[in-house]
Amino acid sequence: MEKNRKINTISAIMLTLSIVVSYITSSIPRTLINETKSSTLLNIIYTTAIVLFIILLFCKLIKKFPGLDLLDISEYLGGNFFKNIVGGLFIFYFISSSSIMLRNFCEGLVVIYYPLTSYIVIIAMFIISLVLVNRLSFNSTINTSAIIFPIVIISIILLFFGNLHNFSFRRMYPILGDGWYNTFVLGLKNIGAFGGICYLYFLPPMLKQPEKLKKIAVISVITTGIFIAICVATLLFMFSFFITADEIMPLFSAARYIEFGAFFQRFESIFLLIWIISFCCYLSITCKFSTHIFAKMLNLSSMKPVLNIFAILIFAISLLPKNYASSIFFETGVYRYLRIAIGFILGMMVLLLANLKKRKVGDNN
Amino acid sequence: MEIKNFLKNIFTYTPQPTYDFSLPDNNTNQTNADVSSKAENTETNQKSQTLYTSLSVNLDYIKSKYNLLINSDIITREFILNVKGKQYKAFLLYIDGMVDSQLLNDFVLQPLMMRNKNNLYDGEQNRVISEAISNNITVRKVKKFNLADYLESCLIPQNNIKQSNSFEDLFSGVNSGNCALFVDTLDIAFDIDIKGFKQRGVEKPENEIVIKGPHEAFAENIRTNTSLLRRFTNNENLVIENIDVGKLTKTKCAVCYMKNIANNDLVAETKYRINNLDIETLLSSGQLEQLISDNNSLGLPKVLSTERPDNAAYHLLDGRIVILVNGSPNALILPAILIDFLTSPEDRNLKTIFSNFLRSLRILASFFALLLPGLYVSVTSFHIEILPTELLYSILSAREGVPFPIIFEILIMEISFEIIREASLRVPSAIGTTIGIVGGLVVGQAAVSAGVVSPILVIIVAITALSSFAIPDYSFSFHLRVFRFLFILLGYMSGFLGIGIGLFVYLSLICDMDSFGVSYSLPYSNMENLKTSGIILPPIWQNEIRAPYLATKNNKKQEKYSMKWKLK
Repeated sequence: MEKNRKINTISAIMLTLSIVVSYITSSIPRTLINETKSSTLLNIIYTTAIVLFIILLFCKLIKKFPGLDLLDISEYLGGNFFKNIVGGLFIFYFISSSSIMLRNFCEGLVVIYYPLTSYIVIIAMFIISLVLVNRLSFNSTINTSAIIFPIVIISIILLFFGNLHNFSFRRMYPILGDGWYNTFVLGLKNIGAFGGICYLYFLPPMLKQPEKLKKIAVISVITTGIFIAICVATLLFMFSFFITADEIMPLFSAARYIEFGAFFQRFESIFLLIWIISFCCYLSITCKFSTHIFAKMLNLSSMKPVLNIFAILIFAISLLPKNYASSIFFETGVYRYLRIAIGFILGMMVLLLANLKKRKVGDNN
Repeated sequence: MEIKNFLKNIFTYTPQPTYDFSLPDNNTNQTNADVSSKAENTETNQKSQTLYTSLSVNLDYIKSKYNLLINSDIITREFILNVKGKQYKAFLLYIDGMVDSQLLNDFVLQPLMMRNKNNLYDGEQNRVISEAISNNITVRKVKKFNLADYLESCLIPQNNIKQSNSFEDLFSGVNSGNCALFVDTLDIAFDIDIKGFKQRGVEKPENEIVIKGPHEAFAENIRTNTSLLRRFTNNENLVIENIDVGKLTKTKCAVCYMKNIANNDLVAETKYRINNLDIETLLSSGQLEQLISDNNSLGLPKVLSTERPDNAAYHLLDGRIVILVNGSPNALILPAILIDFLTSPEDRNLKTIFSNFLRSLRILASFFALLLPGLYVSVTSFHIEILPTELLYSILSAREGVPFPIIFEILIMEISFEIIREASLRVPSAIGTTIGIVGGLVVGQAAVSAGVVSPILVIIVAITALSSFAIPDYSFSFHLRVFRFLFILLGYMSGFLGIGIGLFVYLSLICDMDSFGVSYSLPYSNMENLKTSGIILPPIWQNEIRAPYLATKNNKKQEKYSMKWKLK
């Protein structure tokens, strides 16, 4: 774990996108379509532009703290106590959102392939892999993501192009869905789909070239927007949004319809295999980031003693929802807002205040 | 006190000391590389250094150029030369293992060092160039005594001898097996041809067979092997350092590297590891490989082993380190990353399009060797929808008469195959082929006929076995053979879910590994620049820079326009 090297720009982009891709393959497109119906594509363009603006602001604000992450900046702003509060909130957000996503993903697997297996067993399998991987270095997770990510992306692109013959482009009408208010005002909460971007707050000290943070952030946001748009377009053009909203794993359902001739049909399980690996990557990244923040909060010289705490926490929290419905409710009704509150508002507020403090201190000096 | 320690161990955490070595990253190294690259260019741009008249100055120059303090096979033999009653200091420069000692002793050293009493020709015979008599006075035109000419024409009875005043020419001769004679007061030296290395006496490579490359393999004698490396590299910057390993055996190991290319930290780390081996015996390079590389739970090889001197020389010139062990016909090359084990020496001799195709095939083969049986088990147990209906019917009908569950069936076949493979290695080579035929064809056919296994499974096992044979490195192939069983079990337990999770852990373990400070999963995991990543083998004319992860002193391998004839 101590054997950590700096991350290069491409790996950093892939790391951020790996998190987002897991959101996308599990449930985000369904939530978005459920919210904004046929205007989802328009809404994604709109939210991408807003997130891009936020991220540019983030880059501008963090520029005054080169090489520092949000924890360091929080410490500068409000001392050790404030740093611990911010760190704690982010750990809570990372762990709880990944737990609920794990629960949903495993429930989906139970329904699709393992009806006779308890979801606890499947969750336990993911947790065992997490425990095994936790003792490895952070770079191991980053490198694994970098290997897996291109394959996941190919799967998403294949999903789109493989289903072209099933598309009915009329389904994107009415273009404004339930109206402009729903698309542009209520649809603003869809920026939660870009929740993976908030991992960027903790990247600067790990980067080989911290000056390229802006490039990393901008490329990540634009690529995330494109991927979400591809997935949403696939679902939107294939199914009626009423069906999409009810699907357990809508992208998996879309994969069922891909066929190339008589021989290559029904290879959705290959997609699932790729997404399982990608999901493992996401869990591992979350766990590593949480451990990193925790160790930094408590100034631990070694992360080894706390390595498996977060894996066990993820396991415990994922068992909390009574059933799949309550788990879905947590994801769509609670964590979406949590993503916005912690990922965007809290992070940006800390940066904004730290900048003001720096300016004030600078003026006084 | 013990109770206190016991409680302390339970309730407190003491970080375990971890050994971590890593090479500097490319960017920080780039500046150094640029500087050294400039220095190299300046060096090459300079005119070739000419000899000095002072013998000691020449000797010092050679000492610094050839790193005589650490180079074990470069010999300088100092002696006194007798010429016409006068004595001159002189020395010979040659590479041990590349010259014929008999020739050196009898036809170079002996004539030079003996008092030449028996030599009737003393140069006086030719001293008078012309003679004229006028008025009873004889006028003689006398040639001045020339030591160099005298040495060449009177004292060195060799068929091929050249005088040269350039160190570069002399070093080139020495590197190819000649010896150089330096004499005090002379600003020229003699390049004497007394080559004596073994050519083709060394055997053909048995495991790394190539069609277009040289057909020479390392032998057991370390000096023969160092001479082979010298011949292939043909450069004075090659340093060969000897280190004795083993308290009882004191086995000679040679650490070879290019002084102007290899990273200093890498060289130091390698020597540090070898020097700090507290063992009694070392009998083979395989043992040394295990002793100097970090442990890994996957059992993957971290050091490349080759029996080909051209392959070793290629890696030397790329900035890696080669270790030779006396008594072993293999060289160890380090650091080695995953893709090195899927690369064949033949790749360099083929056109890029073919070598990339072959490399892709090998990657696919390693994927099959590791995962195919596991995927088959999971598809037939959990994901049958992936199979087209006709194929599914064919598999089901083939399995109709098989009484065993799929896992048992596949384990029977895989274990039988491993036994056949092991048996064919142990039996004398004459009947090895028979074992393969009997084991593979006859037993396989009989098993299918008896209804013990299904024919489709035989195909799966056969493709898996063929795939494992397509892996160039034996150790890596071994690793895949063993871990295949793990994926079979995972596939049987939970289908693609198990395989996916297993694959993730497996990839993470690989990505966590280092080989002498270089990430094992490079260039696939940590790509910085697609052009220099090495994912795709570039054509030989585009092979401009060395692998960035080796953090070499000199990144530049060749000019941007290497085929200058095209520019005309």
